[in-house]
Parts: sequence; C-alpha cells; structure tokens
Amino acid sequence: MDDDIQDILDSVSRPSVPQRTLDLQALTRAWVNERTSPELLPYPSDLVERVMERVKKQIETIEDMTGTADPKSNFTLVILQTELERFKFLVRSFLRARIAKIDKYPHHYRAEALKESQATLSTPSPLLSHLEQQYLQSHQGLLSQHYHSSFLSSFPTALQKLDDTAGGISMVDKPEEDSAVFCRVLRDAGSVEIQGATSASEAELRRGDVFVIRWSAVSDAVKRGDVELI
Amino acid sequence: MYAEQANKLVLDAKRIQNLPHLPPYAATTVRAVTKEVRDLDREVSNLLAPYSSGSSSTTQSSDGTQQIKSSFSPADDPATACALLVNHLSMRRNKRCLLAYHRMRTDKLEGMCWSGVDVAEIQDASASASGRQSGGGAATSSLSAEEEQYVHQYSDLLAAYKGQWTDIDLTGSLEPPRDIFIDVRVLRDAGEIQTEYGSITLTRNSQFYVRQADVERLIQQGYLQRLS
Repeated sequence: MDDDIQDILDSVSRPSVPQRTLDLQALTRAWVNERTSPELLPYPSDLVERVMERVKKQIETIEDMTGTADPKSNFTLVILQTELERFKFLVRSFLRARIAKIDKYPHHYRAEALKESQATLSTPSPLLSHLEQQYLQSHQGLLSQHYHSSFLSSFPTALQKLDDTAGGISMVDKPEEDSAVFCRVLRDAGSVEIQGATSASEAELRRGDVFVIRWSAVSDAVKRGDVELI
Repeated sequence: MYAEQANKLVLDAKRIQNLPHLPPYAATTVRAVTKEVRDLDREVSNLLAPYSSGSSSTTQSSDGTQQIKSSFSPADDPATACALLVNHLSMRRNKRCLLAYHRMRTDKLEGMCWSGVDVAEIQDASASASGRQSGGGAATSSLSAEEEQYVHQYSDLLAAYKGQWTDIDLTGSLEPPRDIFIDVRVLRDAGEIQTEYGSITLTRNSQFYVRQADVERLIQQGYLQRLS
C-alpha cells in the first residue's frame, strides 16, 4: 500500500517533493477515498504512524514556542497551530469514517478480517488496524449481550443466532458494492468491464479521466492506487 | 394478526430516527412480540409432534427448515406444511423487527456517547422529555435496564478506543477547522479554565475570543455558544 502510494505520488508530482508533503497528499487521498467508497479500505498503518509521529513532534514544538513567550513568534505559532488542527481533523475524520463503516456492517467485516488473517499471516496493509479489530470485537460482544438480555434469551434456541442464513435471507448485511462512485484515474490501469442494463462493455482507464462508475468495477484499481475517488 | 406488534416496533424505530431525544423503551410491545414468537414456536412443535419419532427434543434444537424436510414430507400434507412455513416466517420476521428496533435505539445511544453527552445526562434528558410528553408524570428513565448497562459499557469501550488516540481527540468536531481562535458566549457558568494564554473565568453572558481547541468540549456540553 505504502509503496503504491509512493509510486503514484512520484508519478504525479515532481520528484523533489519532500516526504512531509507526500504524506499529506496520501492522507488527504486516503481520507477522501475512505469517505466516498461504500466499502472499508485497507488500513494504511505506516502512513498513519508517520503522521501521528509528526503530530506529536509538532505539538512539542508548539509547546516549546509558547514556553519562550516571545511576542515575535506568536504569528508563527498561529500558523503552526492551524496546521496542527487541520492535520488532527484529517486523521480524526478518517478514523471516524472507518469506525462508522465498521459499525454499519460489523458481521461482514468481522468475517472479512477473519478470512484475511487465515489466508496470510502478515499482509502489508490489513483491512482493520489492531485497535479497530479490538473495537469491533468488543462492540459486537456488547451488542449481542444486549440483544440477549433484552429479548433473544427467551427465544427458541434455533432462532437465537445473529448471523443466520436460513430461509434464503442472510442476516449479515453487506456494503453495496454496485453503488456508483466518482473517480479520477491517476495512472493508466487497463480496462474494466461495465455491466449495462442489457449488455456489458469495456471502459479504458486512462490517466486524467474522470468516471462515474460502479464501485465493484474500480475497487481493485483504487486499492492499488491507480484510481482515486473524488 | 401475526407480526402486528412487531410492525409497531419498526414504525417506532422509524420515528425515533428523526427525534432529538429517545422515547421510552416499548417494554410491553417487546414482551408481546417475544411471547408471540414463543407461542408460534409451541404451535410448530405441536404441529410436528405427530411426525417426529421419539427424539423430538433433539430435532427441536436443529434449524427450522431442516426440521420440516427431515421429519415430514410437505407433499403429503400441504396444509400443515403451509402453516409451518407461515409460522416460521413470522417468527423470523418478529426477530428481525426486534433486532431492528433495538439496533435503532443502540445506534442512537452510541451517537450520544460519541457526541460527548454524559451518560447520566442522557438519562436525565430522555426522562424529562418523556415526562413532558406524558403530562409531567413520574420522571422515570426512558431507557430499559439493559440499555442503561449497554450505554455504560459502550462509553467505557469508546473511552478505551479514544485513549489510544489522545493527540487527535476522536470525539472532537467533525467540521473542518477554519480558524483556531473563535468568539464564544458563555451560556452557563463554567468556572475557570486553563489555557496556554493564561486562565479565563467563564461567567454567564460574557464573551471571549479563545482558542477553539481549548473550549471544544465546553461547546459540546452546552456551556458555551459559538458566535459566527
């Protein structure tokens, strides 16, 4: 994931851009993607770690500068604080968007995370961060406990499950993968199949193009970093 | 009619979606729906009793649809098969309605936890709201005992998760920050607060130009009002 981001950024921006700017770009992109995609995207742990590291440093810098109480540094201080607030907002909004998605389809993501952990022991960018996984587990624990104590316990045992698939309807809700998203192609990414009402056709993803397209058609390209959502 | 009570819950849940406060927990309806499910289940086992051989207790615990297939052939007796199907579907429907109702309420409660409302305040607020509605009756909490417990546990969980992101303040404002300094008016006495620029005493009706991050929490709690 991280390498991918690096790649895209290298291809779209001048090579002399420092890591700080790249991270900001990547964070903004991750934030927009996360907020607009119907599905949860893999967690960019390295990126978040780097950003948090920088936020911590910036807080220290600001504290140092306030300590000196030099009237001349006040203006710089305001700029630094504004920047810090904006960074904090980005990370906060990003994490909240993820939590909202996790809370919306808890069973689905729990199953996905489980599948992932069984498939490979260490993926570079897992779907959920460690903390999110903990949150998901305990939240589900609380919810099912609540349901049980409220009414499920007096149900016949056959009906007490929360992830029942009997009767032709699965109780596990899934994100709508066919919903439309707006996206911009950052890098030529081959062609994708578009399912029309009557027939299927192909669309070429060329750099700079903007599409309204089904999420399922571009989700892989977005995860690779070839396409960004807008 | 089957699932009529459950439908009430779903309508209620729909209504709750747009309410600022949480109406009282519909304990009676929930109980009625649960009872209906138990009655339906009893009826199913009564219907199936003649068909099951000896080990009826074990077939009971297996899944409903399998039960029909294994112990009795629907083609022989379509009427009974139909009755069983309707009963099963009604039970499932009732369960979904109950789940939807409870989920709606817990979502609402979680939202309150996220927006920083204190647990005790949630109860007070909903209690007073319900009190007003019922013509100033006894101020009882509109949360069920289970819900109260849930709120407590959820806010603990949230606090634990938030604690990992202390630099970010996860429950902070989701509005993109424009200015770091804002004008606020004090609505309720909030005592003295410490900021990087010294301490301020927040007395009612006074107005301040302060750093947003310092007073974020107080705005959420309703002590201060932001002036645009």
